Amino acid sequence: MENKNNWEPKIVAFLCNWCSYAGADLAGVSRTQYPSNIRVIRVPCSGRVNPFYIIKALQNGVDGVLVSGCHPGDCHYISGNLIARRKFALLKSFLEYIGIEPGRVQFSWVSAAEGGRFAQIIEKVTGEVKKLGPIKKMVKEF
Amino acid sequence: MENAKLKIIKKKDVLKFLDSLKKEYDIFVPIEKNGDIRFSKFNSEKDIPWNYRNTKIPPKEIFFPQTETLFSFEAGTSTLSNGSMTFTPIDESKSSAPGNKNYLIFGIRPCDAQAFSLLDKLFGGDDFQDPYYLEKRKQAIIISLACNKPQITCFCTSLKGKPDNEEGADIILFDLGENILTKPITKKGEEFIENLDSWFKEAKKSDVDKKNELMDLSLKKICSGVNLQNIKEKLDEAFDISFWNEIHQKCLGCGICTYLCPTCYCFDITDEIDHVAGGLAPSRGKRIRCWDSCMFPLFTLHASGHNPRLTYKERMRQRIMHKFNYCPENFKEIFCVGCGRCIRNCPVNLDLREVLVSLMSLGSLCKDKKI
Amino acid sequence: MIEKIKEVVKKLFKEDKIDIFIGYGEGTLPLRTTPCFITGPDNIEKLVWNSYCFNNLAVYLPRFFLPQLQKKDLKFPRIGILAKGCDGRSIVGLIKEHQIPRENLYIIGINCSGMIDIEKVQNAVYKMQEVEIVSAKEKSGKVLVENEDNKKVELKKEELLAEVCKNCQYTAPLIYDVLIGEEKRKTKEKERAAFIKEFEKKPLEERWKYFQEQVSKCIRCYACRQACPNCYCKECFADQTRPKWIGATENISDIMFFQIGRILHQAGRCVDCGACVRACPMGIDLRIFTYKLIEDVKEFFGYEAGISLEEAPPLATFKPDDKQEFITEP
Repeated sequence: MENKNNWEPKIVAFLCNWCSYAGADLAGVSRTQYPSNIRVIRVPCSGRVNPFYIIKALQNGVDGVLVSGCHPGDCHYISGNLIARRKFALLKSFLEYIGIEPGRVQFSWVSAAEGGRFAQIIEKVTGEVKKLGPIKKMVKEF
Repeated sequence: MENAKLKIIKKKDVLKFLDSLKKEYDIFVPIEKNGDIRFSKFNSEKDIPWNYRNTKIPPKEIFFPQTETLFSFEAGTSTLSNGSMTFTPIDESKSSAPGNKNYLIFGIRPCDAQAFSLLDKLFGGDDFQDPYYLEKRKQAIIISLACNKPQITCFCTSLKGKPDNEEGADIILFDLGENILTKPITKKGEEFIENLDSWFKEAKKSDVDKKNELMDLSLKKICSGVNLQNIKEKLDEAFDISFWNEIHQKCLGCGICTYLCPTCYCFDITDEIDHVAGGLAPSRGKRIRCWDSCMFPLFTLHASGHNPRLTYKERMRQRIMHKFNYCPENFKEIFCVGCGRCIRNCPVNLDLREVLVSLMSLGSLCKDKKI
Repeated sequence: MIEKIKEVVKKLFKEDKIDIFIGYGEGTLPLRTTPCFITGPDNIEKLVWNSYCFNNLAVYLPRFFLPQLQKKDLKFPRIGILAKGCDGRSIVGLIKEHQIPRENLYIIGINCSGMIDIEKVQNAVYKMQEVEIVSAKEKSGKVLVENEDNKKVELKKEELLAEVCKNCQYTAPLIYDVLIGEEKRKTKEKERAAFIKEFEKKPLEERWKYFQEQVSKCIRCYACRQACPNCYCKECFADQTRPKWIGATENISDIMFFQIGRILHQAGRCVDCGACVRACPMGIDLRIFTYKLIEDVKEFFGYEAGISLEEAPPLATFKPDDKQEFITEP
């Protein structure tokens, strides 16, 4: 049973195959510790992430969503992350506008060489989502 | 004499009257909410909008809600030999049962009451009995409120209606200003009033005269109309005439006309599955029916991808044909009560009356006019 | 102006330049007009032009140019259309997204002086549902409404303008073949986004409450989608079954998904014509949400929808130095 005191958030992380996923891998092989709250979904590119995936995740009761891709300029597909950046800017601003806590949905850039940075970002995102508590808005009640 | 059954209740007593029935009945009254009037459960309202014209959402939603859970089920303990899960229905009595209370619908317009009598033919017909609708409907007492002030979109007189139409209601009320005149229509209604006799007084002749005067005046105010004589026979020949090529042109294909129609009853049935506690396997679900509209392409889309009603034209034709041809064929009734909701709320002012007028004005539908 | 419109349309039919003309005809209710499709010079007298011509006619265009019609070797019709500023910008968007061919269009641009909001008329004079307006006449900036008891009230048109029209900045289309009427109105830039800024200032929970309140009115009739010229998708995500994005019920979370999804799809495409708001039978305040995206697109990417045929749609392109303060850094 979920206990209020030791509640742990569930976070879905959409990681791009070429950078962030490899970054997570590096964090793993380097034995870098980071919270185990994320559920990774590997995507070919951050540009592949349809904003609907994010809303759907929230609807299904996920406490937080992280999308991570290659740094601008490093995209395997040249500009996928740059197109994604535009989409995410609008999405993030809009979700906050309608009243969804800004910490719930986050975006980051992590390269394949940045295992440490990956761990730090997960640390940060998990901490923020934890502070927000379990998601209530948007969740579909059965 | 008929008039003997007419009773009077003071308007200011009505709220108290309803309040006294709260324990026995689930009472639905027109309530102002979000700038619209809608039938909602009577709680401790301060007033009843006696002058309301009509609700935007028809009261059909009380017996035939937009979303209704038919039954729910959860993953069973036994598994089939191939490893797939079995589902066991959850105790039926718990799902979507309206409770033991009776329904009391207070103050619906006569056209909407008539709509109930039409829906009864469908949901309670000889061929099929819809338990979900009938369970609620059977116990309900319908008290309608005659129209003193019809709207410009009203055309009930072109169908079977009029401002004090009695069909479908158990009791009809007349707003005489300070007093409300009640007239029982069915036996159920008669008994209802008899049992609560202490609230009512005998009606005087002056009250009856006032009622008649109001109704005459009201009837005169309904100035739009269509002569629908033999429309069924006309439409029998009209499936493939060129008339349909133009009539749909401005239709946007939204569901306003059907969702807000008191007699439209089409629905869709879907299953909703829940994955409890993050498990991958579905662990419980429910079967739901919800309103659907013939104006949506999805309504007729086949699994193969083929859609027999591909364009606005076929969908528009379906709506007219269903109401004015298929239903007269199946139920001996036109499924339109002339409430005017579809006319008033259409975003492009596609006026059903106009469509019917031009349909009726077509001469004999000779072969060469066909598509 | 209506005489001028009729004259032009007559000429177009005479010179065989168009097959169909889409304009406005007399409505059957007061304060209403109805979209009118004219196929020959005989019916031109049906056309009207007044302050109730609020429907965005561009919504009808894509259905004339569906790819399946092309496959059947049918020749696409040549369409004349009456376009206000907003209709015109929608047309630009549709041409840009390859839904309609420019060469098949004859755009009669018209300088619009704003359309009347029916709700405002009703609320200005009478309490809801107490009085029925039976007729309305418009005369030099004034509207004379008459109720069922023959009582007449005169109202100023300025005070009855729809919110979208009050703040309109493109009263005439930017792309047209003929332009009728002279530009009269100019709106103040500052006032336009004031309601957005005000909403943003509210606390998060209050904003959420408002969103929830508005969305809970929705009955899923999809009138907002159907009235929108931008919503021409062959299959809307709301109707898709693979994947099934949203359930079919009135579940508030599903409705939120639909509304958020539809509004996000309008990013960089919405021209703020107000068609969705007008079509909604339940009076949902959609504009407070759609306009936010218009503002954001303008602020982040310096783009405005329906202005030019050449400029790339904002979500199909990028700049190396696009805003990215929102990115989480460790």
